[in-house]
Amino acid sequence: MVDWLGLAVPFAYLGILIGSLATFSSLYRKRKAAKASTLTPWFPFHLQRDIYFSLLHLEPSTSSSSKEKKSPAVPETVLKAALLRRATEAIDRVMVIREQKQALALLLQRGSVGDDLWQRFLRAEKEMEDEFRDVVSEANSYVPSWGHTIFQSAKEMATNSTFRQRIEEHQSTLTEEREWWNRKKASIQEGFMKELEQEGTRGGSNTKNSSSATTAGQSTEAPAVPSPTNGSDDDAVLVESGGPAVVGTSTSGGGKKKKKGKK
Amino acid sequence: MASSNGLDSFTQYPLELDPTTKAITLSPDSEQNEVINAELKSLNLLHRALVGLERPNVPPPPLPINPKRSAQITKLRDTANTAYRKSNYPEAIKLYGYAIEMAITRPAWEPLSLVREELSGLYANRAQAHMAQRTWPDGWVDSKCSIECKNAGNAKGWWRGGKCLVEMGRWEEARSWVQRGLEAEDKSGDGAKELVSLMAEIEKGLKRQG
Repeated sequence: MVDWLGLAVPFAYLGILIGSLATFSSLYRKRKAAKASTLTPWFPFHLQRDIYFSLLHLEPSTSSSSKEKKSPAVPETVLKAALLRRATEAIDRVMVIREQKQALALLLQRGSVGDDLWQRFLRAEKEMEDEFRDVVSEANSYVPSWGHTIFQSAKEMATNSTFRQRIEEHQSTLTEEREWWNRKKASIQEGFMKELEQEGTRGGSNTKNSSSATTAGQSTEAPAVPSPTNGSDDDAVLVESGGPAVVGTSTSGGGKKKKKGKK
Repeated sequence: MASSNGLDSFTQYPLELDPTTKAITLSPDSEQNEVINAELKSLNLLHRALVGLERPNVPPPPLPINPKRSAQITKLRDTANTAYRKSNYPEAIKLYGYAIEMAITRPAWEPLSLVREELSGLYANRAQAHMAQRTWPDGWVDSKCSIECKNAGNAKGWWRGGKCLVEMGRWEEARSWVQRGLEAEDKSGDGAKELVSLMAEIEKGLKRQG
């Protein structure tokens, strides 16, 4: 009898110990889970996925209101396109995750980033895995064995779109480059004309005959320096008309003003 | 439970389907959103591309490639080349433009390597036609695109870009550009030699300038 009482003490001790540990662990886990769920997701939101599901859910409402019931409101091709867009976005995200994983693991090891960030990252990774599986099964439900190739296609689409964007960027600089070049060409021509007129007036102070000779000589040379595109025609006309000293000074003044305005 | 929230739920958008064109749009009476509209636009584009396919209306695997478009592009390029050889540069530029258009509007699921290969040649050729017309900025932009498509084994593209910059008097840019070209190209090839001589010209030009 005394033995039971003696035994109760260690049992009670063990019971309290285990009980307190269990409550602590469950509380801790609950809090951690709650914290994880409040963490902001890694990627803002999956727009393509949302659209895909919105389309899926669009069917019943419109079919009941206006369309006859036998044909679905959203054609299957639209859903397929939406699924492809979803797969493309998934590929993009997986690329991002792969890129970031190593760097993030390193930062975590060094203690440069908090555990929260790592948790968010792991969650995003897991979500992406599920997303992949989901897309493949959806694809197979439309066309058997499409699941095998959908991500191949999606990958090409992702790389293609980035490539095309870059080409577009290059091509969009074209007008800017053209404008720059036209301005530069104009300034080259102006500079050339000024030189020409200076020489012309210098020659004019000496003798009239020699001045006309130099200007004539220059005017034939003039179009050779700037590129002979559309601009060069007006240029040649200007040079010819600018031959006489009086007209020449007025045009050169205009040229100077233009230049100042540009700077 | 709460952590799987992101996978079990989604945001429902007020979408509408145009019954004739099958285009998806946000309902007009709902709040408009730039991002969603852009996404729906690309979705509709993709949808039109899918409808153009044979049944079952899913993109075929990237390989093998449908040879039709490649043949058309080659044909356009050849006519453009003949126009160039006859010194009919505006015509050549126009035809190269068509070929480029055709190559760049290839269905997006076709392999990118093929698009790059085609476009690098087409852009380089159009750059040359622009250079023959002395429209340097156009030539420069096309050379940039050509290099963007394919930067190794594209000495012509590097050279043409460098030449355009030289002609526009942008020596510093030309030097760094040709430098990059020399790094990307095989040193023993003919193209590299031409790049080296262009580099010498650039150095001379830089000295002259200041």
